[in-house]
Amino acid sequence: MSIQVNLDLMMVRRHISAGELAERVGITPANLSILKNNKAKAVRFSTLDALCRALNCQPADLLEYVPEDDFAAEGE
Amino acid sequence: MWNDQKSLALTRWCVRLFALALAAADLGSYWLVRWYMSWNTQTIGQGLREELLMMVSLYLCSLPAWAALYWLHRLLGSIAAGQIFVPENVRALRAISWCCAAACAVCLASTFYYAPWSLAGVAAGFMALLVRVIKNCFEQAVRMKDELDYTI
Repeated sequence: MSIQVNLDLMMVRRHISAGELAERVGITPANLSILKNNKAKAVRFSTLDALCRALNCQPADLLEYVPEDDFAAEGE
Repeated sequence: MWNDQKSLALTRWCVRLFALALAAADLGSYWLVRWYMSWNTQTIGQGLREELLMMVSLYLCSLPAWAALYWLHRLLGSIAAGQIFVPENVRALRAISWCCAAACAVCLASTFYYAPWSLAGVAAGFMALLVRVIKNCFEQAVRMKDELDYTI
């Protein structure tokens, strides 16, 4: 998947823990972990809306497109 | 009031009853064959060869039947545990369809000495096809569930 979710970065900037963010967004910590670790296959707009509201940011701050080759290189 | 749990319990009891009936047929196949041949004198010869062939066909069909019952039991147990669209159930359905296909092959091969076996063969073949289609549906459902589970 070429879409990277930069949740960790925003969480550090806003000084918010995973548990607190999960509670504010209304998802389980397990699902938040799936998002953070780029294992999610899709994100609902309602979830994206809640994340942006909780982190006071734009969707572009959370989602980044990384071409497949660069994605693989980053992983290494 | 009728519900899913009762329906599942009924299905599981039917599988157990079928297993009992199959065990009885396996143990009593000698008498079963003799009884069948005694009132079916027009369509099958009455010799020892025919009796033996009938019993061989019955026992050969019994093997995939037991395997299918085992996989049905596993499938129902999985459904009872709330695991419906999972890869294990797809494997179970695939196995059941192959069991039906094996029974179909035995029945069709048995037509050389007794033509009505072809009816059972066609029925078993059609059942194999039905179960295979259901297996294909479950495979797609597993993929869709996987997609949904990872949609946050």
